[in-house]
Amino acid sequence: MKKIYELFQERKLLSPLRRSYFILSVLVVLAGFNGANAYAQNKTVSGKITDEVGEPLPGVNVIEKGTTNGTVSDADGNYKLSVASSESVLVFSFVGTVSQQITVGSQSEITVKLSSDASTLSEVVVMGYGTQEKKDVTGSVASVKSEDFNKGIINSPEQLLQGKVAGVNVVSASGEPGGNQAITIRGPGGVRTGSTPLFVVDGMALDNTSTSGGGVNPLNFLNPKDIASIDVLKDASATAIYGSRGANGVVLITTRRGKAGSSSITYSTDFGLSKMARPIDVFTGDEFRQNVVAAGGLLDDQGANTDWQKEVSRTALTQNHNISFGGGADKLTYYASLGMQDQEGILKNSNMKRYSGRVNVTQKALNDRLSIDLNLNATNTVNERPPIESVIGGALSMNPTYPAYDDNGDPAFLNLVTPLVELKLNKDITTIDRAIGNISPSFEIIKGLVYKLNFGVDNSNSVRDIESLPSLQPARIGRIESVYKHNSNSLIENYITYTKSFGEHSLTAMIGQSYQKFYIQERGYSINNFAISDVEPRNNPSLGSSLTLTDNRPTASTIKNELQSFFGRATYEWKNKYLATATFRADGSTKFGDNNKYGYFPSFSVGWRLSEEEFIKSLPFSNLKLRAGWGQTGNQDLPEKKTQASFNSSTAAGSTYPLYTGPYPAGTTFTRLANPDLQWEVSTQTDVGLDFGFLDGALSGSVDYFSKKTNNILLRLLATADPVQVATETWTNLKDMTVTNSGLELALNYQFKSTSDFRYNVGGNITFISNKVEDSPYTVIPSGTATGSGLTSATINGYVNGEPIGTFYLKEFTGFDANGQSTYADNDGDGVVTDKDRIAAGTALPKKMYNFYASVAYKGFDLTANFNGVSGNKVYDNTANANFYKLRVKNNLNATDEAIANPEESATNPASVSTRYLKDAAFLRLNNLSLGYNFNTTSLKINNWVKAIRLSVTGQNLFVITKYDGYDPEVNTERTLDNASSYGIDYLSYPKAKSVVFGLNVTF
Amino acid sequence: MGIIGCTDLNEQVLDETLSPSGTSAKQAADGAIAPVYGRLYDLFNHTNYFALQEISTDEAILPYRGGTDWGDNGIYIAMHQHTYTSSDPNIRSTWTFINQGIAKALVAISALPAIDDESAKVYLAEARGMKAFYSMLSLDLFGLVFTKGNVNDVSTILRGAEAVEYIKADLLAAEADLDPNAGPGRLTPAAVWGLLARLHLNAAVYADRYATSFNFAGDDMDKVISYTEKIIQSGKYQLSNDYFAVFGNNNHDNKELIFAIDQRFDIAGSHNRLAYFSISGDQWPLANYPNANGTDGPAITPDFYRTWTDAYGATDPANADPRFYKQNLAIYSDPTATCVSADNYNINRGILRGQQYGLVKQNGAFVKCGDGTYQMAKLFNVSRNKPTLPVDFTLDVNYSTFSNHNNGYRVEKYEFGKNSDTGRNKGDADIIILRLADVHLMHAEAKLRKGDAGTALQDVNTVRAARTLTTAAPALTSMNLDLLLRERGFELYWEMHRRTDMIRFGKYESTWTEKTNSDVRKRIFPIPQTAIDAASNIPGYLVQNEGY
Repeated sequence: MKKIYELFQERKLLSPLRRSYFILSVLVVLAGFNGANAYAQNKTVSGKITDEVGEPLPGVNVIEKGTTNGTVSDADGNYKLSVASSESVLVFSFVGTVSQQITVGSQSEITVKLSSDASTLSEVVVMGYGTQEKKDVTGSVASVKSEDFNKGIINSPEQLLQGKVAGVNVVSASGEPGGNQAITIRGPGGVRTGSTPLFVVDGMALDNTSTSGGGVNPLNFLNPKDIASIDVLKDASATAIYGSRGANGVVLITTRRGKAGSSSITYSTDFGLSKMARPIDVFTGDEFRQNVVAAGGLLDDQGANTDWQKEVSRTALTQNHNISFGGGADKLTYYASLGMQDQEGILKNSNMKRYSGRVNVTQKALNDRLSIDLNLNATNTVNERPPIESVIGGALSMNPTYPAYDDNGDPAFLNLVTPLVELKLNKDITTIDRAIGNISPSFEIIKGLVYKLNFGVDNSNSVRDIESLPSLQPARIGRIESVYKHNSNSLIENYITYTKSFGEHSLTAMIGQSYQKFYIQERGYSINNFAISDVEPRNNPSLGSSLTLTDNRPTASTIKNELQSFFGRATYEWKNKYLATATFRADGSTKFGDNNKYGYFPSFSVGWRLSEEEFIKSLPFSNLKLRAGWGQTGNQDLPEKKTQASFNSSTAAGSTYPLYTGPYPAGTTFTRLANPDLQWEVSTQTDVGLDFGFLDGALSGSVDYFSKKTNNILLRLLATADPVQVATETWTNLKDMTVTNSGLELALNYQFKSTSDFRYNVGGNITFISNKVEDSPYTVIPSGTATGSGLTSATINGYVNGEPIGTFYLKEFTGFDANGQSTYADNDGDGVVTDKDRIAAGTALPKKMYNFYASVAYKGFDLTANFNGVSGNKVYDNTANANFYKLRVKNNLNATDEAIANPEESATNPASVSTRYLKDAAFLRLNNLSLGYNFNTTSLKINNWVKAIRLSVTGQNLFVITKYDGYDPEVNTERTLDNASSYGIDYLSYPKAKSVVFGLNVTF
Repeated sequence: MGIIGCTDLNEQVLDETLSPSGTSAKQAADGAIAPVYGRLYDLFNHTNYFALQEISTDEAILPYRGGTDWGDNGIYIAMHQHTYTSSDPNIRSTWTFINQGIAKALVAISALPAIDDESAKVYLAEARGMKAFYSMLSLDLFGLVFTKGNVNDVSTILRGAEAVEYIKADLLAAEADLDPNAGPGRLTPAAVWGLLARLHLNAAVYADRYATSFNFAGDDMDKVISYTEKIIQSGKYQLSNDYFAVFGNNNHDNKELIFAIDQRFDIAGSHNRLAYFSISGDQWPLANYPNANGTDGPAITPDFYRTWTDAYGATDPANADPRFYKQNLAIYSDPTATCVSADNYNINRGILRGQQYGLVKQNGAFVKCGDGTYQMAKLFNVSRNKPTLPVDFTLDVNYSTFSNHNNGYRVEKYEFGKNSDTGRNKGDADIIILRLADVHLMHAEAKLRKGDAGTALQDVNTVRAARTLTTAAPALTSMNLDLLLRERGFELYWEMHRRTDMIRFGKYESTWTEKTNSDVRKRIFPIPQTAIDAASNIPGYLVQNEGY
């Protein structure tokens, strides 16, 4: 104990955090109680545990079956445990090996050799509504266990997965703490937003709707440390069981559960330091002085040399504390945790704080025929955001000769609003409380026939306060707007599973029904005009003195939708070699039109375990399985109410007009016409895959070819052919238009097995993917609104036939004319350059995504490196487009070398949206580098107190190799245009951080 | 056995009205017509119809001021130099608002006949007339109109003379049922006569858009003469003796107005953009609102200014013509008049030149004299971070040397709304679409084009002589087309007629400050590319205008 205390003392980082000492002390006391076991112990067993080649195995759990009595083998594989009697049974378990149970009998020394779990074939994969052994799976499913997750500062499950699964692309919107992560599985299939997969946590299907308006990823509520595994269902044969929500893939998250016969308490803490990874290289004060004059400007020199990016950012501290305990006896197992993450963003006034608690309990009864799982999760998230665009925009373009602070140390004003003044005067604080609970009892009616009920509720309430503080200079009147949001999602599912083996045949059949209801309400209120005082408007909005319908009209929406589904699955296995699966789901939704209430989604797949065939057994395969599947899935992620007509009767601008003296009439307008034919998009997917293992499983991998074709593309028309439209909104399914994603996924892993203390593991995955839009009736469906002075009407993306989604559809920049003005290619040869000359200039979707990793371990040390990269994609640098051109420099606005790179460019040349600002977005990133050390608690003679201590240091985003000169090529500033998704646009995005995280993990 | 939720999946809509039930027939009738007019506010603002009709001409120029304001990626420069393209956002929003206006009129036309209220018949006529008005704007700006009988049909596209006939038919059909006393905020028979006169006056242009010279048919000119005379002889309208009262906050009751957008500060949509657009960001027109300022938008071109000095020779136009300028602040002529009460504080009107005076802001508040009145002083570009640069409007303005915040003479024609707390919205002055002076000048033009210069001269002098509050502008002694266009500029500057006028008078391809383009195809604007793209699913339906 003393040593641990000293370890903490040495860590200067910990010193301000007295709370951790307290937590630690509590844990020690708890651990003490655990140690003071009132259990009668009258026989001692000891021995050595080795792997199959005789190498000692440290860290093996040794449990007296049916009790909480247990220990862990030390660094030399030795263990010692007092047991109740000679009838006691010892259970030896270790990750990646086959567990053994040995009755003690008369032995006092039991030596155990644990054999490795042959190429992890008996690994269990979570499917929808059940689990399956990996060897029996016929669909394309990837499973990631907690030990393989990305490490460091993690806010959401997508980050755990980034780069881990072939075919899965995770793109963070920006570097903001807790910000949105765009995750697509096997490419986007539609035009409108809603390409996000379905997330299911412990059987509870989530709603992807945002739980707040504040740019917080709704999945942040999950504490990553509570997650045991994530299974990604990729092809239709796996996802069709989720029917109209399966088209974008399904991510199944399984949280930790206690194990019968074990008991442990784990305290872990991380301290991270982050800084801006790649500041944009704008001019220093001195460079600025030269360049303004060189560009023909009249220099406005205030004498200072301010690095504005440095002024608005900081070295950010993140701390994470997590206590969990779990275990159980025969009938009852439990897992509980409480976690806290307090993350500072690298921009000032940017913070994300999360408290999360979880209790998972399983109780068995009725001779184990009844089993009840209960999962409860409560999370409180507080997210504080600075005004990102104005702060970043200011930091990049503010004159660097202006001083940051005045003589009093306050942010200087100087009649220009500096980014520090913006930081001081604007706040955006979101608090989200979310609680999810589900209970799922299962009952074995007769042998092999199990009925299961799943009932769950997911409730979230959030408040977002958007605050503008009153100020004299600059003159601001002060305003507070509060948006209250309530999300509710409840689920009831009933299903029956029948499993039967007879002779060489094995059959599992499942049928079920599901009902899910969503209710989302949002209401916003505001008030203006606050006196300048110490009271922040959000703390007392009643101090506001101006409240009018013009300035403070409340905002509101309330939507409700329901899903009712019937589903079934049958899997059949013959001779342990030939596998077949068929699934079917009928999905009804209130969102669908009257003419199409139910959608029907079938799938079929087969597998052939070649390695079980005699003619293969002589070859060096430890596993060889061929899979093929076909299926249809839907995307019902269309907004509510779109099948019904809507009127709007209002006195809002544009609707009302003074017809006579008296109150102004409420004008009636159509917002929408009825479209009862509206329905889901349909994806038809084929997948052929091969799983293989060589060298006794040391080298394993899989390869998959897939083709996913989506039709019935759902679209909100930005404009219709006839611009005279009664309603402002028109929704339609484009029957013939298709989006096809096809590709090849390859994953490989090699595990070096040796008799020495030295182990290593290398592997990786790569995805080749192509996406194509075909048979669109339109020349282009525009998206990706450009931002910046004079750019706002231009679009950057376009959906055009023969090109991928995410295509950049732009004028082609060709240089400068004699007057130094930009020239563009006149591709249609009509003598003028217009929007008709735009070309498909590349796509934001990578053609190749790859990830590789290596880990080495020697004795207590382990080192893991994880790289990921993409290529074949581009990014539109809207930041440069709006900020880095000569005219701005001439006018005393800061910029980069890009602005003055062309001496022939005139200082009056405007920067139009064109290929000039389209840049290569390929990158290779050292995503994660982690060094850990596991203390030998036995040799430290603290093993009676502490089972394991691990110290680690992790570097995140240590480097990225890229040609891109913005903050980071992995960026996706949302610039959706009328519901058509935008891709690959970078506009004043929150810079990405580079972090070093120190971690301590203690298990009692 | 288990808990089963069961549903028939009927969608429950909680936050929208799916049927306009529960309203009285009167409310339903009002609700149908109000949006038809309500669309006008946005359409007639500074960046939409104003930008298209004025910045494209010799009356207005908007440079990239100081390199920090109104850069907008060159769209205002392109508008002035006639290099506008199909992606211009202001052209697009103008297009959108016009077509929304037509759609709202169509909805009203389909809804009103079924509403059992006495107002429904009048409203139906107004809706029909407004459909014609929006269509006229579409024809004038884009060279085409969309027409359909049923709201859910796909429109037929009409161009040229066909479009003129279609608009004419709608106006004539509307005329009979209109309420003569509903104006000026709503369509009246006189408003329809004025619009018909305007349509006939321009019919030759619409029939042969790119002609080297237009063939103004005698029939059309006769119609212009008869419609304008009908208005003049109705006796309902009167030229205002105070020119700037026509554009004042209380102009709704000014008898010169025939058709205008009814603005009231407390109605949603009402704006002050026309008063705020041109003046300096350091000009503070309201003592009660320290956030209400201008924006250093467009100035008049030096060429347009010279039309005034050329006309009045040695006499300063401010002294020669009451339409040019109105001084409201005594400090301009009396340097000791430095303290003014909030109630008496009104900035000058018309074309603003030279050093500007007014309220000065220090630490967020206006500086006061000891007695509670406000201090008047010279203005500087403090908010532009150029505190030593005076707000001193100079004649020269262009895109290179003279593109600072103080370049160019400015226009404060409409009175700054007294309730406009930020200067942007909550306007009070009605925005004029048709007024009696224009009617007289249209009469003059039709007579002149028919060879009757004498009557034309008489008409012009009638208008000149009417502004008797101060010394009226001197009578002209001769009349020709150039003088008439100049006179329209003097009378109607910045009233969103200039582009149409210059085209009709054959001057749109001329050269003026920073503008040399002489492409006749610029007489109409491009159809927005987004509209072309949206129509690409019906091949051949919507064809882009020539030259774009």
